[in-house]
Amino acid sequence: MKNLKMKFARMEKDISQIELANRIGVTRQTIGMIESGDYNPSLKLCVAICKELGKTLNDLFWEEENDENEEK
Amino acid sequence: MKMRKNKLDEMQEQKLLQIEHNAAWLAFWGLLVAMVVQLFLYGFEGGKHIIGEWVVFMCLALYLVVGCLRIGVWDRKLEANVKTNLIASLIAGMVTGVLFAAINYRSYRMIEGAVANFVINGVMVFVACFVGLSFAAHLYKKKVEKLEKEEE
Repeated sequence: MKNLKMKFARMEKDISQIELANRIGVTRQTIGMIESGDYNPSLKLCVAICKELGKTLNDLFWEEENDENEEK
Repeated sequence: MKMRKNKLDEMQEQKLLQIEHNAAWLAFWGLLVAMVVQLFLYGFEGGKHIIGEWVVFMCLALYLVVGCLRIGVWDRKLEANVKTNLIASLIAGMVTGVLFAAINYRSYRMIEGAVANFVINGVMVFVACFVGLSFAAHLYKKKVEKLEKEEE
């Protein structure tokens, strides 16, 4: 499932995937794969992303039932 | 000696582990197939030509078994019980029996010898596998029990 919340949070902060990746210490490919839902990051990486984007884990990674239905 | 820093991030590390996992299984089954083909092509004489493959294969198998037992893992789907061990041993015995019977028949063209090879080798491998699996299952259960009892 695509992580649009993370993508929007990144865009709100006006940060590119490369910039976010550099700040967290991962590759741009990893950020792209998390946003496209092709990779499940570890809790450690989730926390690092949240800190960088100024959001909580709930904001970016908690899935409501509505989110799942919207994706379908 | 100074260890070089890991340049991969966690996603790349996981992908690499997956590739290494596939490569290890490819090597495992590839070695087995190579040994079977060589035995079939060169008959029992081929046995001495597969010692290298056999040693590597057994090292791989031993590493897998010991590694899994140490962390208390048996299999993704199968249970460590007598029924599973019997079925697995039976399959191993049958496959080995058929292979040895085929090699024997190819070398000597005698159906009696082939049948005797099937029975003797099949039974021997069945018994060896069953004993080995039962022992491993016993160790696995003891390990799981120990891990469950470990203090938090």
